[in-house]
Amino acid sequence: MCTTEPISYAGRDPAEATIKLQINNKQCMAFPNETILSCARRHDIYIPTLCELDDIDHTPGTCRVCVVEITHSKHNGAQIVTSCNTPVREGMTVQTRSKKARDMQKLQVELLMADHLQDCATCIRHGDCELQDVAQYVGLTENRFFDRLLAESRPVDEASTSMIRDMRRCIRCQRCVAICRDHQGIDALVMEGTGNNRVVALRDSTDPMSNICVSCGQCVLVCPTGALGERDEIDKALDYICDPDITTVVQFAPAVRVAFGEEFGMPAGTNVEGHVIAACRKIGVDIVLDTNFAADVVIMEEGTELLGRLKEGRKPTFTSCCPAWINFAETHYPDILPLLSSTKSPQQVLSTIAKTYLPEKQDIAADKIRVISIMPCIAKKDEAARPQLGEAGKQDTDVVLTTREFARLLRREGIDLKTIKPSSFDNPYMSEYSGAAAIFGTTGGVMEAAVRTIYSVVNGKELDKVELTQLRGFEGVREATVDLGGPIGAVKVAMVHGLGDTRKLVEMVRSGEADYDFIEVMACPGGCVDGGGSLRSKKAYLPLAMARRETIYNVDRKTNVRQSHKNMQVQALYRDFLQAPNSEKAHHLLHTHYEDRRKDLRHTVKEIWDNLSMSSVLY
Amino acid sequence: MAQVVYGVWDGVVHDARRNLPGTDTPLAALRNFDEFDEGNAVRAFFADRGFFVFDESVSLVDGLFHYINKAAEQSCGACTPCRMGTVLIRDALDKMRRGLDSPLDFDDIEMLADQMKETSLCGLGQTCCIALLEVIHHFREQIEKEVADHMPIRAQHGMAYMTAPCIEACPSKVNVPRYIDYIRDGKPENSLGVLLQKYPMAATCGRVCVRYCEQACRRKFVDEAVGIKTLKRFVADQQKGPHALKFTREMIQKPLADGMKVAVIGAGPAGISCAYHLLLHGYHVDVFEKQDKAGGMAQIGIPNYRLPKDTLAMETDIIVDLGGRFLFGQQLGADFTIDDLFQRGYKAVFLGLGCQEGTMLGLKNEEQVREGYFTGIDFLLKVHDHVDGINTFQLKGDVVVVGGGNVAMDCVRSAVRLGADNAHLIYRRTRDAMPADTEEVEEAEKEDIDFHTLCTPTRIISENGKITGIELVEMEETEPDESGRRSVRPIPGTEHVMACSTVIAAIGQQVESQERIAEEGIDFNHWKCVEADKSLTTSRPGVFAGGDCVTGPSTLIYAMSAGLKAARSIDDWIQFGTPRFFKRSRMRELINENAFLANDAVETPVRNGYRVHNPALDPDLRKKMFSEVEQTISLEDAYTEAQRCMRCYRLYSVITKHSIPEGAA
Repeated sequence: MCTTEPISYAGRDPAEATIKLQINNKQCMAFPNETILSCARRHDIYIPTLCELDDIDHTPGTCRVCVVEITHSKHNGAQIVTSCNTPVREGMTVQTRSKKARDMQKLQVELLMADHLQDCATCIRHGDCELQDVAQYVGLTENRFFDRLLAESRPVDEASTSMIRDMRRCIRCQRCVAICRDHQGIDALVMEGTGNNRVVALRDSTDPMSNICVSCGQCVLVCPTGALGERDEIDKALDYICDPDITTVVQFAPAVRVAFGEEFGMPAGTNVEGHVIAACRKIGVDIVLDTNFAADVVIMEEGTELLGRLKEGRKPTFTSCCPAWINFAETHYPDILPLLSSTKSPQQVLSTIAKTYLPEKQDIAADKIRVISIMPCIAKKDEAARPQLGEAGKQDTDVVLTTREFARLLRREGIDLKTIKPSSFDNPYMSEYSGAAAIFGTTGGVMEAAVRTIYSVVNGKELDKVELTQLRGFEGVREATVDLGGPIGAVKVAMVHGLGDTRKLVEMVRSGEADYDFIEVMACPGGCVDGGGSLRSKKAYLPLAMARRETIYNVDRKTNVRQSHKNMQVQALYRDFLQAPNSEKAHHLLHTHYEDRRKDLRHTVKEIWDNLSMSSVLY
Repeated sequence: MAQVVYGVWDGVVHDARRNLPGTDTPLAALRNFDEFDEGNAVRAFFADRGFFVFDESVSLVDGLFHYINKAAEQSCGACTPCRMGTVLIRDALDKMRRGLDSPLDFDDIEMLADQMKETSLCGLGQTCCIALLEVIHHFREQIEKEVADHMPIRAQHGMAYMTAPCIEACPSKVNVPRYIDYIRDGKPENSLGVLLQKYPMAATCGRVCVRYCEQACRRKFVDEAVGIKTLKRFVADQQKGPHALKFTREMIQKPLADGMKVAVIGAGPAGISCAYHLLLHGYHVDVFEKQDKAGGMAQIGIPNYRLPKDTLAMETDIIVDLGGRFLFGQQLGADFTIDDLFQRGYKAVFLGLGCQEGTMLGLKNEEQVREGYFTGIDFLLKVHDHVDGINTFQLKGDVVVVGGGNVAMDCVRSAVRLGADNAHLIYRRTRDAMPADTEEVEEAEKEDIDFHTLCTPTRIISENGKITGIELVEMEETEPDESGRRSVRPIPGTEHVMACSTVIAAIGQQVESQERIAEEGIDFNHWKCVEADKSLTTSRPGVFAGGDCVTGPSTLIYAMSAGLKAARSIDDWIQFGTPRFFKRSRMRELINENAFLANDAVETPVRNGYRVHNPALDPDLRKKMFSEVEQTISLEDAYTEAQRCMRCYRLYSVITKHSIPEGAA
């Protein structure tokens, strides 16, 4: 309960480890104020833990599983303490597996199970659950206290279009609260209620139109159990796929192909584009398209829009591909909405073109087409449901499956990705992509793709060096000056990922402190390769970011065409259908608008008093 | 006197039946345990350190059920052992006391209780099973006998009470750990809601409170006390942002008829607090104030750089939001009498008169001075008018302030801001003995104020009625007396003169116009304070009093707690003709008189994490102006600071012969 500042011990000078102690009779050296758990881990001593998550410096000390038995000079006899937040002391002895410590670790997990809904087979985390793991690690063999009524009395929040928050499976580790509050800076989650009724709740309201959650999904990535997850729409997708009257179109995002193979035991960062195409065909999808194609179109539209704004002296322009970022701008900073590019995201561009251009080209009835998109993102579900992105109640994108749902769908179809023979895109209209589109999935990628094309438009020639390494990197906010030449000259650009840093940047833009021409925003740290809809890790946060990033840059290097405007299918789209970027038709089909969704969230004292628990109520 | 039949305290077993006297336990010297309320004997007592039984026929199973039931009700649910353990043990004891089969036997209960005691996150979980464990360890055959025949146990009367050292230290008994929890939970508005249950002036309190709670905070055994006041100010300052709470008349649970009106005299912290609680009780309240603004000493006595007046006004306006009326420019004795008020139909009167008459130094020839000599309170009034733009007030030359309390600090720091070339503080004892807040003293030092301690004035020097200097004498400390307290005495021959233009005597205040008020049937005691009993009833029926006019110059939080207590007494008096028994106060009396709340050290290692501080304006800049020196902490800092609370909750319960009367709450 008392950790107050992030302390990283990795890479610290061992000479600073001056505290001598014994853990399981082994001499250990610890840093001052270091926790027993951290010291034990550095000395390769295992202690079972649950609520703690080192990667985000989270030790709330709430699960109380990591108890150990200690002796030290300030106390007579042995004490039981939680190793995650108890500091080392000179001369301390620690027993992580004394009979008493083991019994208490085991009983703790049994007590955690008491009000935890244990229909494991129906849970989205089945077989991939940290609670199941820890039960095994402490040797749990009985479950004496389980109370189904108590478990089922806990709430399930199904109000969001993108997420389900099933408190029946919550172990109150508060990792979701920490990631939302301290890392993403949204602070949309609060702890509510007392005793068994203690739950994670949305601030102010569960009504998705009124609360400040932006559906970035980072909370889902850190949840140890199945308490947080996406709204499962696999059956909706299957309904379309199995309906012979419907033409199903699948698109998948740039990041999906590099962040999916792990689920089937392939090395992290394996490019499984061909496997995904083959799997889609096998389950009966009619047409497999690539969101990358739409990313190239987005560059044409957004780049042209940006050039126009630069000529008018309007700045900065923010990118608009990231739906959690759009949610964030609409609910947290509606005053900056005019600065956002009006270009739709690649998902929505693809869906729109698939229902307008493709029917013309392939002679399919437009109203029989259903677009299923596979995204490393849960906010894409919100985006697909936006009233601006559909007509007469029919949404342009019909179903959004997260990478995780797609994995479950393949399992339901008995497909093992590892053994399937990779295939390739075959649609002649909407599946080719440039290297510029491929890198959309990582922070800095949209910016780099845009610069490659804008430079060419301004100068009538390509960049000497296509790879703009000054735009790459992993710092939260990066800035660069890019000389676009011609009448535009040097422009100042910024790239930000993670909403904590995004908020800082937006504040700087609003106060006039920051002076940028073009700003790329990705709500998830790292960009889409680590999106809130991507595969989960256990006891780790974003462990595969670098491998995925590397692969995505390799995809770019291997493409024949590395600039969006040189994508032949994109050129054909404009020639045969849209005329030109930002043409009236393009504007009608591929651009959108935003709305101020900030709500007055003032409460009355009376409401607060009614909501108070556990205090001495006077009247 | 109540005799303990058996019990365990701090691990020592006492059993009169088995001739185990346990003489070195407090059992031998229990105070005030004979009856809980009149004619209602205390039969047993359960606490965080053990339990005592006074009546052999008490059922331990039922008594422990009530105790653990309270723990289950109050468990915050954050940590696993307390969240589940309290519920499982409560349900088992409940089954047992009803004569039903329990899913858990005493071995299971012991295992769970051990788990809670050893592994819980906070003080509640760590201590709420101690009494139970002592019973299982030392009186197991007795509880087994109680449940052996599977017959329902006769229900017992009593009550349970949860508190913490910080709560008991606070005059208003604010549930401090709870409001800190709400910050940690991400609900600062609920945190403010907890404060608003006790008083309306949270932002004011968050700036100027003397923090009895922080002195009691056990975190100091680890590193430093939790920044309770800093956090209070943080949540109260949310009122200025987009999440400000709306005060509406829905807060009034049951509005009373038009005739149910009460007069509050004095719009200071005591009067505001009393008016607030009376309004919430449904009364119609008129507040009479001699000044033209509300706030009392908080308005005129605390300078703007510590308490901005718009902040204060925002909080006193709550009275108006709730339907109360301020009648400004109305002074008791000059503009109206208490008789008038009763004639106008007020059912009761609250005197929150304050102590607004400054005490002069009492030196020879001080009456001859007409210019440059003020009492602290008169001086602060001039400062107030200056900041308000009513009358410009400037100082130059050397300014001398006499006194060592907060009023003295306010005077001397204001003198700097008003242009004094040098500001001096004269105090007869040592710096450490100053009654002022340590922080106030430290901030004053930063603002280049000259401290002259162990020094006292002996003569005022003036020319043509204008101050030119002050004669001082050095003091020395005497040897400690029997009680260990050192006194001070002048050192003969050390007299010296300090040239100065202004002298401010900040050495004390008393109630204004005492004679006239006494004529209305209000008795004063020999400290020249209004005489009032525990329920704040004065010598005149229907008239109640609280705050500085009863206690002498004291703190904001004492005044606000008096307002709450008086409101309760006034409500009782109007509704029932007499103040009623208040069971939580009685419980506190038991705990405090017997010093049950152990101020024990923290023996489990805890990671150091030092407290956050309010950002402050640079001393060189702030010396020149009256803008607020301290700023609100950031949200990140508030979360960090809230993490430091160790939640030292403790649970107490009594079993009594009869049911305990339900008082005001």
